[in-house]
Amino acid sequence: MITAPYLDRFGFALAGCGAGLVLARLINSPIGHVAAIAAVMAALGLVMAAVALLADRKRVKRVSGKAEQALRIIESMPALAWFADVEGKFLYTSRSPRVFTGLPKEDLAATKDDEFGFRNVVHPDDLDRLLQTWRRSLRTGHDYNCEHRMWHANGGYRWCRSFGLPTRDGDGRIVGWYGTTIDIDELKTAEAALREHERSLQQLIDTVPVLIWRLSPQGNPVYFNKQLVEYIGVPVAQLGSIDAVVEAIIHPDDASAVRNAVQRGIETGEAFGLRHRLRQSDGTYRWVDARAQPMCNGDGNIVQWYGVCLDIDAQMHAEDALRRSERKLQQLTDAVPALVWSTEPDGTPTYVSKRFTEATGATLEDIASSDGRPSLSVVHPEDRPEAIAAFRRSCEAGAPYLQRYRQVRRGGIYRWTETRAEPLRDDAGNIIQWYGVSVDIHDMMCAQQAMQHSERQLQLLVDTVPTQIWCVTPKGEPSYINKTMMDYIGMKLEDFDAEGGLRSAIGDLVHPDDRDALYGALSHSFRTGERFALRFRNRRADGIYRWQEGRADPLRSERGEIIQWYGTNVDIHDQLATEEALRNSTRQLQQMIDAVPINILSFDPSGKLTSASKRYLERVGTPPAHIEDFEGLARHLAHPDDLPIMLPRALDGFSTGTPFVNRFRRRDKDDAYPWIEARAQPLRDAGGAIVQWYMVSIDIGDEVRAHEALRKREQELSQLVDALPVHIWSWTPAGKLAYVNKRSLEDLGLSSATFEDTTTVARDLVHPEDAPEVLRTSLSCLRTGDPFMMRYRRRWKDGSYRWMEGRCEPLRDRDGKIMHWYQVSIDIDDQVRTDEALRESERSLRQLVETLPAMIDCAAPNGEPIYRSQQLREFLGYELDALDGTGKTRLDGTLDAGVHPDDLAGVKERYAHSLATGEPYARRHRLRRFDGEYRWVETRAEAMRDAEGTIVQWNVMCLDIDGEVRAQEALRLAQERLARASQAASLAELSASIAHEVNQPLAAVVANSHACQRWLSAEPPNIDRAHRTVERIIRDANAAADVVSRIRALFKQSMDSRVSMTLASLVAEARELMAEEALRRSVRMEFEVERGLPPVAVDRVQLQQVLINLIRNGMEAMEALANGKVLRLRMRRVAATIQTEINDRGRGLEHPDRIFEPFFTTKAHGMGMGLAICRSIIESHGGKLWAETNETAGATFIFTLPIEARDAA
Amino acid sequence: MTNDDSIVFIVDDDIRIREALGELLASYGIATHAFASAGEYVEADKPKRPACLLLDVELPDINGLDLQNQIADGDHPPIVFITGHGDIPSTVRAIKHGAVDFLTKPFSDAALMQAIRTALAQDRKARAERADLGVLRQRYLDLTPREREVLPLVTSGLLNKQAAAELGISEVTLQIHRRNVMQKMAAVSLADLVRIAEKLEIPVTHSRRTGEDEK
Repeated sequence: MITAPYLDRFGFALAGCGAGLVLARLINSPIGHVAAIAAVMAALGLVMAAVALLADRKRVKRVSGKAEQALRIIESMPALAWFADVEGKFLYTSRSPRVFTGLPKEDLAATKDDEFGFRNVVHPDDLDRLLQTWRRSLRTGHDYNCEHRMWHANGGYRWCRSFGLPTRDGDGRIVGWYGTTIDIDELKTAEAALREHERSLQQLIDTVPVLIWRLSPQGNPVYFNKQLVEYIGVPVAQLGSIDAVVEAIIHPDDASAVRNAVQRGIETGEAFGLRHRLRQSDGTYRWVDARAQPMCNGDGNIVQWYGVCLDIDAQMHAEDALRRSERKLQQLTDAVPALVWSTEPDGTPTYVSKRFTEATGATLEDIASSDGRPSLSVVHPEDRPEAIAAFRRSCEAGAPYLQRYRQVRRGGIYRWTETRAEPLRDDAGNIIQWYGVSVDIHDMMCAQQAMQHSERQLQLLVDTVPTQIWCVTPKGEPSYINKTMMDYIGMKLEDFDAEGGLRSAIGDLVHPDDRDALYGALSHSFRTGERFALRFRNRRADGIYRWQEGRADPLRSERGEIIQWYGTNVDIHDQLATEEALRNSTRQLQQMIDAVPINILSFDPSGKLTSASKRYLERVGTPPAHIEDFEGLARHLAHPDDLPIMLPRALDGFSTGTPFVNRFRRRDKDDAYPWIEARAQPLRDAGGAIVQWYMVSIDIGDEVRAHEALRKREQELSQLVDALPVHIWSWTPAGKLAYVNKRSLEDLGLSSATFEDTTTVARDLVHPEDAPEVLRTSLSCLRTGDPFMMRYRRRWKDGSYRWMEGRCEPLRDRDGKIMHWYQVSIDIDDQVRTDEALRESERSLRQLVETLPAMIDCAAPNGEPIYRSQQLREFLGYELDALDGTGKTRLDGTLDAGVHPDDLAGVKERYAHSLATGEPYARRHRLRRFDGEYRWVETRAEAMRDAEGTIVQWNVMCLDIDGEVRAQEALRLAQERLARASQAASLAELSASIAHEVNQPLAAVVANSHACQRWLSAEPPNIDRAHRTVERIIRDANAAADVVSRIRALFKQSMDSRVSMTLASLVAEARELMAEEALRRSVRMEFEVERGLPPVAVDRVQLQQVLINLIRNGMEAMEALANGKVLRLRMRRVAATIQTEINDRGRGLEHPDRIFEPFFTTKAHGMGMGLAICRSIIESHGGKLWAETNETAGATFIFTLPIEARDAA
Repeated sequence: MTNDDSIVFIVDDDIRIREALGELLASYGIATHAFASAGEYVEADKPKRPACLLLDVELPDINGLDLQNQIADGDHPPIVFITGHGDIPSTVRAIKHGAVDFLTKPFSDAALMQAIRTALAQDRKARAERADLGVLRQRYLDLTPREREVLPLVTSGLLNKQAAAELGISEVTLQIHRRNVMQKMAAVSLADLVRIAEKLEIPVTHSRRTGEDEK
């Protein structure tokens, strides 16, 4: 079937195909197979390409060798490559089918009924399908792809996959098919096993009686198991999303719950579950319990949701039934018109009926206390302890519980409730529950209580009426006595002898004298039924017999029979006693009236005399018989002068019935007319009608005389008041003007009735400027009762105003109530004007003091400051009174606070000295200014003395001299600085610096001079500028002169500072100052100072300069020496001088005489001034300075200072 | 002598000296500007004109000599020292550091004017030189980096061949660079370029001989 030349054409392509197969071998996987197929396809493609090149036969021949090689490779591959013509006849197979299948060639040949030769190679079961596929491909030109079993050389069928593609010519006609057949048996077997496994799993899932489902991570249904599909009658494919699921199979009421649960699960990644109703295929809903759990991959991401649904419909229905039944029972319980409850055996509340909650407003939680015990919070607090205790007892004993208590109702009111509870026991007799019921018995309890209350009230009434009440049977046996009576007689009803009856009771109680009468009266009443009334004495509990008024009435039945006697005893003992006492009192009164020393008359309402007291008769005598009434009596006895006044008043009193008083002279028995006061008053009966007039007259002769005397005194006083040169006014407490003395009226030109009250007085009499204040103050005083004191101007009668000092004080009665205000106003006008003048003078003086450019302080004789001028206060920064209350005196306070601590002791000492001796004080010290800066002040104080020479005041003046002192200080410091500088520096250097000071202005002078010259010689000359420069020349030249004089002054100044001192210390100082320089110059200093040298008065600084200058000179003289530089100083006493020798080993002196001349120098930089100045200093100290050349080497400078120092200046 | 554009700075703590010198120089028609201390002078905004500094040695803040040291680095005007008392060491030090003169107070106007004239002339010259140098510097800055490499080689006297080898470029390229350098630096000849390089203080890095020796 296949020839070699034919193969030649394709050799090259097949080589590529072989390479592809090698590649495919390497990748042993299903994908590898595909790749292999692809590779083979590619190879075959190349073959077809080669066909296209058939025209170039030579080229084909050239590669045929290589093609053969490739062919061998491809044929050794374990796969079959083939090529078929357009009819489907196989033209080529990569290897002999016989080798591949192990079948003889004949078996593979195409026959009439086996068109392609498949029959023997292909599994009979696959044959038809294969043929069908192959033919369809041939017919349609579509790719050929078929899996089938093929006989294998190993002796069995193996699964293979055949794959073929058509190849077309340029016109698109199919010219042939090329393809491969690959062994996929292992793959197929594995696939089959897998499928089997999956099927069994599927079966498992489908047969378990659970509804299983799977959701994608987004929550869309992916898989429903068979059970579920059957259950809901919808395949998963129809339910693309969770929304579709919910809509199709979830009960509408549960739809949102399911959606939310799924949504939440997806968002949180947490398992979820819920109960919902699921629609069955028949359209009914059943309850299911759905649960879902996520499956996560290695990264923790959710790959899948697995869920199950359990049908719980029956269970749900059972629960529902149970709940309904319970609700019914509940309703029943709640409907019972009682409050039902139950508790655990230990009393923990477990249930309260709805009615209970409605009635009490308390729920089960409310009545159970936190520890689970019943709190009985619904019980009235008063009843609660008892209720709790009873309930506990019942719980412990297991006995039924019955308790009445007040139970709370909504709104906080309490109602009486009867609560009963009984235990429910199990078969073993153990209590399993307490059931209780509370019944409202409030109305019943209230009724009962009301009744008890009314009975008690009645009893109380009977017992508390202050009357003894008793009852006796018709037979006369005591049946009741009330509490008042029991208390009175001190016995109870039981104490009577029941046998003895009435007589025995009377015997026990009644006075022996009255017993028979009482018994008789009672017996009579009992017999006749008449009222009983009798007075008798009864024995009281304390054993005393007291009069009683006893009364008794019978109570009769409807038929008129006496049922009971009710009696009362009233204690009339006191009443009887009072009557007796009254009688006695009347008698005594009469006696009294007759005995008292006043005259009493009585008249009947018409004025007719009815009686006269004994005293009257004794005093006045018995009136004549014809005189019967008051008028006659008055005309007979009253002094004729008084009669016209007293009689009408009396008659008027009689006629109107008003009491009246008359003072008049009455004739007595001796025809004298003493003054009397007669008072008459009517006695009226209950109806108000006048029964009697009583008239009392007393002798008031003394009183009238006293009154007379008083009036006289008053007149005198009034005269006095009027004569006093002050204004005296009085006011009522309300501020009305009551009195004005005559003086005021005259001074002010007033009549007494002009003014009424304070307001008008203030307005009309007081200066308009003072009036408001006066009015305000006086009204305030009137209100508070405080005394009034004011100065104000009062208008005089001539219209002028004068200063008055008004004082007003209240007069109080014994109770402290203000009766009157008395005001005295004194004319102080002159005084005020003097005061003003004085004040003005003082003010100007003070101003003077305050404005003086000095700080002024006044102090008491003991030094205590009493005044400070403003300047001083401002300087110190505080007021004088700021020092008070610090515990120090003002003086110490000022000094401690102000004076510089360094100066304080001295200042205090001086002050004390001056205060003690009276000597003037003067001192300079530093004083602290308000800003904390200490400033130098000079304080001077001098005592001010009175005529006797006693110190009355210290006047202190304090001047700020800080600037001055500081200037002096600065000068002193400059000197010191100069001295210090010159101590260490040579005089040459000193003079150089002086030269600089001088040169500075000199340079300016020179420059200005040149400038001036140029201005003058300019064309035209600039005169203005020349002038200016000349002015500057003068100024600067003067400055130079100043410098010179200042330097001179410096030296002159320092001469004053000579002190007596030992020169040894000076030498030691100089040695110290030069020590460093000596070391630098390698000079040894040998100093020898004699002991016990007397002190010499010298200027320390100047002498130091001399010493240092000479020492330095000596050192400089030895500059050129290589070694042995020794400077020797020797100080000793020679006669009356101290001689100092300074010795060096230098070159010595060439001109020992000239060296002291000014500007003579041997040094390169010297100015020749040093020795000249030294000599002048020593000479100014009264000494001498000279130089000698040593015999060996060097020079010696010698100076002497006199011991008796004399001022050479 | 009137010269509009020059100015004399006076630094002296003594107002009398400042006034007098101002007056004197005014009479010579010279503008002045006086300062009481070294600090004031240093901080002041000074006009860019030919100038001279009359400096007192003793100043309140720092010594005049120290001020001289401080400003030595900058382009400061020539200094004429004036002092109240001159000592030799100070004088020597001042002159060594470039002071024009050291006058001891009081001094004559002739001495002063002589010193000031010298100083101003010096400054004017220095300013002109600084201005020329500025132009040269700007030209130098306009060169490319390669041209700046070429310049010292050329001015060192290397042959084109040697310079090209030194930079590893061809002789032709070097010649182009060299022509550019000459043009940009406005040098009319190689000698001119050498002079310019000297002014710019461009160091002579190579010598022709050394290059040959190495070969």
